[in-house]
Amino acid sequence: MALSAAKPLIRRHTEIGIFLIGAILIVIFASTSDGRWANLYNIGTIMQVTATLGLMSLGVAIVIGTGEIDISVGSTFGMGALAHLWLAARVDPVFAALVAIVVGAAIGYLNGWLITRTKTPSLIITLGTLMIFRGIAIALTDGFSFSIPYAARNGWTYSLLGGGDFLGFNTALFWLIATFAVLIVVLKAMPFGNRLLAVGGSADSAHSRGVRVERIKLSAFVICGMLAAFAGALEAGKLGFADGSMGRLMELQAIASCVLGGCLLAGGRISLIGALMGAFVLSSIQSYLVVTGVQPQWFILILGLIVVGAAYGDKSLRNWAIRK
Amino acid sequence: MTQNPLIQVKNLDLYFGAFHALKNVSVDFNAGELIGLVGDNGAGKTTLIRVLCGIHAPTKGDVFFDGKKVEKFHPKLAIDQGIETIQQSVGLCDNLSIARNFYLGREPVKRILGIPFLDFAKMREKSSRVIRQFGLRENVSADDEVERLSGGERQSVKIGRAVEFKNRVVIMDEPTNHLSVREREHVNELAVQLKEQGLLVIYITHDIFQVHKLADRIVIMENGEKVADASTDSMSAEALEDVIRQGGRVVEKEAV
Amino acid sequence: MKYLVRSQGFGATIGVIAMLAVFTVIDFSGWWTIQTLSNVTQFTAILALVALGQALVIMTKEIDLSVGSIYGLTGVAFITLEPSLGVPGSLVVALLIAAAAGFIQGTAVVKGELPSMIVTLGGLFAARGIIYVWTGGSVHNFSPDARTHALTRLLGGELFGVEAALYWVGIVSVLLAIMLWGTRFGNRLLATGGSRESAESRGVRTDHVKTTAFVLCSLLAGFAGILTLCNQPQTHVTLGENMELEAISAAVIGGCLLTGGRGSILGVILGALIVVSFRYQLIALGAPSSWYITFVGAVLIVAVIFNQKLARFLGHSV
Repeated sequence: MALSAAKPLIRRHTEIGIFLIGAILIVIFASTSDGRWANLYNIGTIMQVTATLGLMSLGVAIVIGTGEIDISVGSTFGMGALAHLWLAARVDPVFAALVAIVVGAAIGYLNGWLITRTKTPSLIITLGTLMIFRGIAIALTDGFSFSIPYAARNGWTYSLLGGGDFLGFNTALFWLIATFAVLIVVLKAMPFGNRLLAVGGSADSAHSRGVRVERIKLSAFVICGMLAAFAGALEAGKLGFADGSMGRLMELQAIASCVLGGCLLAGGRISLIGALMGAFVLSSIQSYLVVTGVQPQWFILILGLIVVGAAYGDKSLRNWAIRK
Repeated sequence: MTQNPLIQVKNLDLYFGAFHALKNVSVDFNAGELIGLVGDNGAGKTTLIRVLCGIHAPTKGDVFFDGKKVEKFHPKLAIDQGIETIQQSVGLCDNLSIARNFYLGREPVKRILGIPFLDFAKMREKSSRVIRQFGLRENVSADDEVERLSGGERQSVKIGRAVEFKNRVVIMDEPTNHLSVREREHVNELAVQLKEQGLLVIYITHDIFQVHKLADRIVIMENGEKVADASTDSMSAEALEDVIRQGGRVVEKEAV
Repeated sequence: MKYLVRSQGFGATIGVIAMLAVFTVIDFSGWWTIQTLSNVTQFTAILALVALGQALVIMTKEIDLSVGSIYGLTGVAFITLEPSLGVPGSLVVALLIAAAAGFIQGTAVVKGELPSMIVTLGGLFAARGIIYVWTGGSVHNFSPDARTHALTRLLGGELFGVEAALYWVGIVSVLLAIMLWGTRFGNRLLATGGSRESAESRGVRTDHVKTTAFVLCSLLAGFAGILTLCNQPQTHVTLGENMELEAISAAVIGGCLLTGGRGSILGVILGALIVVSFRYQLIALGAPSSWYITFVGAVLIVAVIFNQKLARFLGHSV
């Protein structure tokens, strides 16, 4: 009885599921790790990982909102990281991050342009660009890694872009919060957001109401590319080095975060806060495995099961809530 | 009549791949007219109006709007020109609220520091009024997702939207589908009212008897071609029905 | 001629002819030598097996991203279980594991009504994770006895100077061709991808068809893994990584439309040949091996756009 009263709420907010999962996991992790998981240092690490993965997931969620998918983000992330590292020491971290974002926007534009121009499934096109830019990233680094000398890892602009802490947390977290705030306003309270979700809900209907469907999709891919590359720049700022494999499998984690967070792959229904929570849950699990000394390889296995389980759970929850 | 036709279609051809959907169609539509566009399923009437409202671009031939040749076809341009269309199968996004659907593509904004924010108050106010006017269930609000609505309610939202934004042309594609008898009468009254206000109304249906009572002129399409174009004063509904029947026979022969 | 253009493998045929012409003219590494050809055909055969399975799934309008991991997992199982089960025993068990993986994923797709992309993405992780956890990252080898076992020779040896994998891919493609174009199941498979509603309205159990396609896909991927290891009996945890990308590329280059219902077995094999040849040539050119990934990506995009344009030109709705 009490449950059916919650139906309308759950119908509108399927991300409730991931929040419940997150809460349960926090309790379990905190109570079974002798304080190795729930301490400030470890939480700080989780937050940093969440921040970069979360930025990426936000971008992927926007693309999923239009009913498309972008799996090239892992390579875009890597390209952003390399661009940042190459320029941060030579010029300035702020300039480097801006260049990284431009690189990401260019990759996103290429994806979006190919997809909307040729009306080809985004899965295949972004699979192609995933490989293209992964190859380029490895070739650029030529088997070695790009790094910033220790002496250059200072200055407020360096720490502003992932290289330092603020209020005890890596600055990437604050970038994530700011980006989230902007995107949620754009999505919920601006015409662009309305049209974006309309395109994902029914592209034909949106088209018949005069929405420029292709322009919206193109913008979504550009936003996604920018966020992925920016996340790469922040991660590079944190690590100070990166090789060509930077960001590998991140695309899968980002998609997993979105699915966990209740974003419908068919498009039109996404939850940005859910995607962030999904990223947090994935980072928490990863960290838990590390601090409890479980082979980190288990993470891949668990990630696989989580992706399918989350998709199924989300679907069941939605079906249940829609039923009258 | 001395005035130029509001919409003039000249020698229009449209192919979908190898399929010849419109064959050399020419027809004039005047302001202040209610035109019944009649034909069986697959006759090309929906395809024709989809050209008029910018969804499809013609393969050959021209469309003139208000005497000017239409160069680019996109729903946005058609809507900006003042052509409102009630589509049969598309037009509403299930995942959005009624208010958001209502203003989709032309959202009202309030600018704060130059940033366009949606004007929720206006969106809600206007769409709620239309919902009440068209007699949707009491417990449906403008913030509810369209997914919750019945077929008739969806149709009502679409019609309400077109009437609300009426400008110069209102195209109705099978507007009375999914509607009850009472709602049907309401829609037909609306069509006549719009015409009397000086708008061009194109009313698409396969029910010649229903539209004959309302329309000034009937255009019949069959198999992608225009087969009849006559004022309702000059031809009775029965005579027009015979035309459709004959067209139907032609189609059957080709199919065999 | 018209038949040729209409067949789905047309693009791949042109591609192979153009590619061979280019490699003949611009010959850096001795393209037309026994050594090169035997290497290229061996790898082509392996990739073609995986890609053929992928093609079956794509024809039903789904996609299987897990084939690379299944390929690796089956291979690892084959080698790891050999000491306790013997070569024939571990062969059967490894193939059963592959079939089970396909069955689980197929069932999740049709019963759970989930997008195959997500399910097989999960499968990709899960199977790769199992490889890591199972082997602990260590390398396994065949014992000398197992290397000379008749079955190992049959799967990984040579006959008349030609690698066994080639015969196997020949047998498999003939069987698949007969299945697709000569049996009721093949007809139903194509119908399922072409129009699921229509197929269902004619009483086709599309859920069974799809599950079967997933099982066959995993079986073929697993079989390809076993063939690889019979040839070079040594495992590593990254066995088959990125293989899903190559397999999808080969299938798409070979003319499988992602909208389902169309495909060509010959096209898929030629697609695999194109992918492998480029890898070989780029490495022979001395280009960093990573350029090869870039190249496959670019070829994939060009192929998908070309095939789609061709299909639209022929009046198919895609």
